[in-house]
Amino acid sequence: MKKYIFNILSLSIVILAILSSCQEKKLRALVVTGQNNHNWEVSHEILSKILDNSEVFSTDVAISPAQGEDMSAFQPDFAKYDVIVLDYNGDDWPETTQNDLEQFVKNGGGLVIYHATNNSFPNWEAFNKMAGLGGWNGRDENSGPYVYYKGDKEVKDNSPGSGGTHGPQHEFIVQHRQPDHPILRGMPEKWMHSRDELYSKLRGPAENMTVLATAYADPKKDGTGRHEPMLMTIKYGKGRVFHTALGHVGKERPIAAQSAGFIITLQRGAEWAATGMVNQELPIDLPNVSTPLILHNYKPYSLDELFRRCKNYEFGKSQKYLNLISNRIRLAGGDVEKLKVFEKKIIETLKSDASADSKNYLCRELSWMGSHDAMPVLKELEKQEATREMAQFAIERISK
Amino acid sequence: MEKKPLNRRSFLKKGLAATAGAALFPSIIPASAMGRNGFVPPSDRIVMGAIGVGGMGRGNMAGFLKSKAVQYVAVCDVDERHNNIAKNMINKTYGNKDARSYKLFTEFLEKEKLDAVMMALPDHWHGIIGVATAKKGIDIYGEKPLARTIVESRAIVDAANKNNIVWQTGSWQRSRPNFYKAVSLVRNGVLGKISKVEVGLPDGQRSIGIKGVQTPPSEVDYDLWLGPAPKVPYRGVLHFDWRWMMDYSGGQLTDWAGHHVDIAHWGLDFDKIGPTEVKAKGVYPVDGIYDVPVEYLIEAKYENGLDMTIANSGYFIGRRKSKEWKREKPWMLGMGTVWYGEHGWIHVNRHGIWASNPEFLKIEEKDLSQKIYKSTDHIQNFIDCIRSRQATITPAETAHRSISVALIGEIAMQTGEHLKWDYKNERFTNSEYANRLLQRPFRSPWKLPEF
Repeated sequence: MKKYIFNILSLSIVILAILSSCQEKKLRALVVTGQNNHNWEVSHEILSKILDNSEVFSTDVAISPAQGEDMSAFQPDFAKYDVIVLDYNGDDWPETTQNDLEQFVKNGGGLVIYHATNNSFPNWEAFNKMAGLGGWNGRDENSGPYVYYKGDKEVKDNSPGSGGTHGPQHEFIVQHRQPDHPILRGMPEKWMHSRDELYSKLRGPAENMTVLATAYADPKKDGTGRHEPMLMTIKYGKGRVFHTALGHVGKERPIAAQSAGFIITLQRGAEWAATGMVNQELPIDLPNVSTPLILHNYKPYSLDELFRRCKNYEFGKSQKYLNLISNRIRLAGGDVEKLKVFEKKIIETLKSDASADSKNYLCRELSWMGSHDAMPVLKELEKQEATREMAQFAIERISK
Repeated sequence: MEKKPLNRRSFLKKGLAATAGAALFPSIIPASAMGRNGFVPPSDRIVMGAIGVGGMGRGNMAGFLKSKAVQYVAVCDVDERHNNIAKNMINKTYGNKDARSYKLFTEFLEKEKLDAVMMALPDHWHGIIGVATAKKGIDIYGEKPLARTIVESRAIVDAANKNNIVWQTGSWQRSRPNFYKAVSLVRNGVLGKISKVEVGLPDGQRSIGIKGVQTPPSEVDYDLWLGPAPKVPYRGVLHFDWRWMMDYSGGQLTDWAGHHVDIAHWGLDFDKIGPTEVKAKGVYPVDGIYDVPVEYLIEAKYENGLDMTIANSGYFIGRRKSKEWKREKPWMLGMGTVWYGEHGWIHVNRHGIWASNPEFLKIEEKDLSQKIYKSTDHIQNFIDCIRSRQATITPAETAHRSISVALIGEIAMQTGEHLKWDYKNERFTNSEYANRLLQRPFRSPWKLPEF
């Protein structure tokens, strides 16, 4: 790629300007991992995938020696990157490595603190300032205040006590507190997150820190009864830090990291940390306040994928893919051309070996946005017992 | 109606004055039968039945059973358990075992000779049963919303009018003093010309997750419960929970529009008109069994330029931060109706009445020149109107206009369009997509009865 751009450059600067706008150079991200009380073997791959899926980043990984092993040779070249993503909770690094990271951020580099990373390095002062908040590993009133929201107000609470706790994993609503921040702009202000550890009672220096989003730690789920910070930004020197307390990955299916809200905010948070701006467009399917939006492959579903996945729908099972199709149809806003695209896909599905339940669902949509193009396949479905009634439902509306 | 001269109803309509003729009475009359102590002689009582006797229906019926003016004789429900509880309620009230029950409403309407019926059904059944009952000339106390779709709702109004029945909608807020007061003040121009109205309704039911296919309870005729709605296997969604599925209801929006949009219209004297434009946005569940929007925002415009915003209460709570919006309890803030006029605003809901200027609320009823329809007891208002043959405080047309705003808003959410609405002909003028959604096709053999 570099070579390609260089060749073009030798020909014309104008072409370079055009090219660079269509085919921008990717930002470089480094995921640092190797020790964690969580499943870092899985999580670092997920983080890399999420960052690469943004199409903004090209991501490398640095794996530290295992716990208790000699760390002296662990010295990633942070300066080569635009953003460092820490997925690390373990032994202290060599002082030079710690200093390298601090200097990197101080000089304007981007840093992302992910989930249990905020447990690490309790005695490294600069880390705690960069992270803003942390928990566990002996953190207490000497680490800094508890930070949480009460109503619309941020509270810094200096009362004594340990830092860091969470109840059993559960689904919870993440509420944006700075909806106009570039990381969050355009997203629904509240969205349901999938089953995750709701980090609570985090405390730390909290200097130059902005809480972007909170989640209510419900006492019914052993929560604190407070609106706990989930997403934060911290200014450190010339650098920017994005801190997400979300995204637990353990031995079980990593459903917290598959949550669309976690993925989108991580992608945008990392870009913001790297550049101070967010140029990524929001995906069509956004999480909302109702139920979690799970993205199995850590990227938005293509329309083809939705139609492929909905084919197996059985009544009484998840109808997520059909719901997402319906939502996109609503977003077409009555645009005839856009609706034609959906109609074509629906007709294809109705002609396919898709389940009767899937076809019956799609007949409801077709009934109001379909055209006479759908009539032949509806007449066919009308002949079959399992689809007769819903085919008639659609025919009745379309033929009016 | 002429075909059934023995019906209590014709007696009520034609012979009220004649019953005063003392010569017709036996020589010894118990005091209780002379209308003393609130007792109404059996011959004067309104013979009633109930269709739909789940939680809401039995609640309504309990209100009726307190009145000596009515005599309940029968109930009708697809759930045998409901019927049994409801029959016991009636029998206990009268100290006998005479109450009858039916599963099928057609049989109930055919066999019983009724003056009036209380209806509390899932929305998807309102149209068919409402029209069938009206067609029999039976007066109806019907739950809001009037119906699931504009077409069914209009059919109920026309059937009620054509058959000269008395219709009362369960929009009982109209019979409560704080709503009456707010509406009186607004209608008397205390706020000046009204430019904007905000209507806050509850936030939607969230989720019960995904439920597998199950066997329906043996006491329930599930196919009959589905009736005109698409046939789907049973997944545990039945009484009460039908509210969260679009085949049966429009969620909190269509449940509560019959209350607070109804009050908004009353204050504006809009009981016979509707918006001319509507656009809307909904937040729909990503997954789970329920499919109605959990959040919604409807922006409607009326002929005189008035704007009405209908949203889940959370939307308004987030926007009412200044001191004047301080309420005794936070949950009092987002719900209810707020009219904004030249001189300020008035906010009313079930918890109270508030105004931008506290002086507004000190104005007494006697100082207001324009008197509006007053009812202090929603059930009694129905009973009184059955006797007087006058319109109730919430007749069918009024209820139809109230729910229409929510129903066309629901359609605007579905198509995502900015819709133009011709409220006189009840059609959209700029979208055939939207017009298709004015009606839900019925599952065979169910049809809206001719009337």
